[in-house]
Amino acid sequence: MWDYSDKVKDHFLHPRNARVMPDANAVGDVGSIICGDALRLMLKINPATNVIEDASFQTYGCGSAIASSSALTEMIIGKTVEEAQKITNQDIADYLDGLPAEKMHCSVMGREALDAAVANYHGKSYEQAHDDGEIVCHCFGVGINKIKKAVWENHLTTVEEVTHYTKAGGGCQSCHMRIEEIIDEVWVDLEKCGVPRPGYVPTPLEGIRIATSTERPAAAASAGTVSSTAAEASPYLEKVQKVLQEVNDGLPADGSEIELKDIQGSTVLVVLKGPLESGMMGEMIMTFLAKKLAEADSSLSVKKAD
Amino acid sequence: MDSRNLGEGLGGIYLDNNATTRIAPEVVEAMMPYFTTYYGNASSQHGFGVPVEKAIEHAREQVADLIGAQHADEIIFTSCASESDNTALWTALWTQKNKNEIVTTKVEHPAIIDTSSFLSNHGVIMHYLSVDKKGDIDADKFAALLNERTALASIMWANNETGNIYPVPRLAEIAAEHKVLFHTDAVQAVGKIQLSVKDSPINMLSFSGHKIHAPKGIGVLYVRRGTRFIPYLHGGHQERGRRAGTENVPYIVGLGVACELAKAHLTELDTRVRALRDKLERGIVATIPECLVMGDEGHRTPNTLNVAFKFVEGEAILLMLNEYGIAASSGSACSSDSLEPSHVMQAMEIPFSAAHGTIRFSLSRYTTEAEIDRTLEVLPGIISRLRELSPYWNQNKPAIAKADHMFDPDSQERRA
Repeated sequence: MWDYSDKVKDHFLHPRNARVMPDANAVGDVGSIICGDALRLMLKINPATNVIEDASFQTYGCGSAIASSSALTEMIIGKTVEEAQKITNQDIADYLDGLPAEKMHCSVMGREALDAAVANYHGKSYEQAHDDGEIVCHCFGVGINKIKKAVWENHLTTVEEVTHYTKAGGGCQSCHMRIEEIIDEVWVDLEKCGVPRPGYVPTPLEGIRIATSTERPAAAASAGTVSSTAAEASPYLEKVQKVLQEVNDGLPADGSEIELKDIQGSTVLVVLKGPLESGMMGEMIMTFLAKKLAEADSSLSVKKAD
Repeated sequence: MDSRNLGEGLGGIYLDNNATTRIAPEVVEAMMPYFTTYYGNASSQHGFGVPVEKAIEHAREQVADLIGAQHADEIIFTSCASESDNTALWTALWTQKNKNEIVTTKVEHPAIIDTSSFLSNHGVIMHYLSVDKKGDIDADKFAALLNERTALASIMWANNETGNIYPVPRLAEIAAEHKVLFHTDAVQAVGKIQLSVKDSPINMLSFSGHKIHAPKGIGVLYVRRGTRFIPYLHGGHQERGRRAGTENVPYIVGLGVACELAKAHLTELDTRVRALRDKLERGIVATIPECLVMGDEGHRTPNTLNVAFKFVEGEAILLMLNEYGIAASSGSACSSDSLEPSHVMQAMEIPFSAAHGTIRFSLSRYTTEAEIDRTLEVLPGIISRLRELSPYWNQNKPAIAKADHMFDPDSQERRA
């Protein structure tokens, strides 16, 4: 169970300002049911004074998402829009006597809802007001601008922290290298502003392959079997496997290996492994493989799998 | 009652028995002499060792009796079911040259799924059988995945989240026809349903003590006589050279007693406990709109109920239940370390509007009718309170003129 502060529990069990405000003149909708949390922030802004006279919310999400929304409304009522916009996600977390690290994205969502409500007040749609930039995390649809902002404001140094604050990288993890690059980019600027960067740990390399039987299962597997059902049904499978076996047998025993990924129509998709993965040797092998496959069957072509 | 400090004698309603169970008082009592009087080593050739060795062998028979093993020597004591599962996967690969494929399902426990992904990173080819929307698997699809390079088929007997029971005896027959070794993770089946390993060609079976009212830290791997076996843990001759390490005697004795008690209570589980589970299910469906019962109602373990409450989030439900001292669990993203809903719900392709709001109630022979009644008393209020807060729930809520967007639970949109 999460170790929530008493204040988080109080705001979850007794949320303040949790209601629909039909006459709100600023509405900010953020989040998604796919990601597991969503927030609608409703404000009544006095057009003459720019003061937020009332605020309410509707939240779908976990305990800390509801508590963060409740806290945000309490923090902004009575403030001018400009004053409210100075509130950071860290201020929301502090107001609640802290959030578990894994739940910081709840406070970030609150902050985003405020931006979305102010945009709505000025007659801008979410899309007009919101510039995601390049989408980095496709699982949770997180853009580079959100990641940069979270790193910049909270001095984040690791991919794990970025995931806790933005959810980016919490799914398939294929964007972790890109997130590391973004962290590095932001820290170049942070250091220019005089923020010292704490020592950072490079990502560990993949482990060493270990054979599970006395034979060479890896090499045998690459030529003999393929997990794709499309490839299994392919009329070319036998020919392709034979060619791959021959070429693989001729490769040096330094981890160089061609693995059959799929056969789509007459296109053979392969993955180059070990030293073949990059550089001239890989390109040469692809040309050689294309020639060998064409010899086996003139309609076959070969491509590197993505 | 302090909702942050619950346990036996401290109040609270425990409906999370698929996670772990209360240790039976009879089990604790049987274990005590092996902490105090009988501290000898079973391997010793003196009078301190004799009663200890006898106790272990008695427990082995009690375990064999519960799962219907023909011989007590087919039982290997391990530290937990995860160790048993790891052992089963590795020994199948080690003992069969030129076989480097494993067939399993997408809904296995992490002890199988995570071990599989580790193996797959190291050259083993994994095949994951998919499930339908009820979480069931297709025996023909299973057969189609087996070939002469398959080292092992490992299919769970019952699913921890939905309670679905898989047709393990039939799948084991199919594997045998293909000359493929068969293992089953039976953690959620042992002690809940009648099973007999000697009646079908199951080569290996794993289960753990703490799901059947024995303590944590003790597990079993059943290995049928004649199954080639290489140990996972080396370093001693214990367990006939199949699992090194001085025997965890008190826990082994406790497990033996727990197995005997489990067998004696099987009928009660199938009648009284099943009736309580059904009462809980009927009560929820009757009083709470927009909820779905997960899994296959036709064949589930009698103690398990998994319900998806649409438009609300599971962790929030758990927190509110906990305020009343009621303990359950959720497949939602927020209640775990992962940011995605449980892999079982994803494999069943449950829509996100429901997957994040799944709650599992799992009963035991200690569950009382009063506890079920109390749960039914507070649950509708909790769900309607959270729905009042949820922007995806629009019933009886006024419209907002200024809103330029609708929260649609079936939408794939992601805003920020």
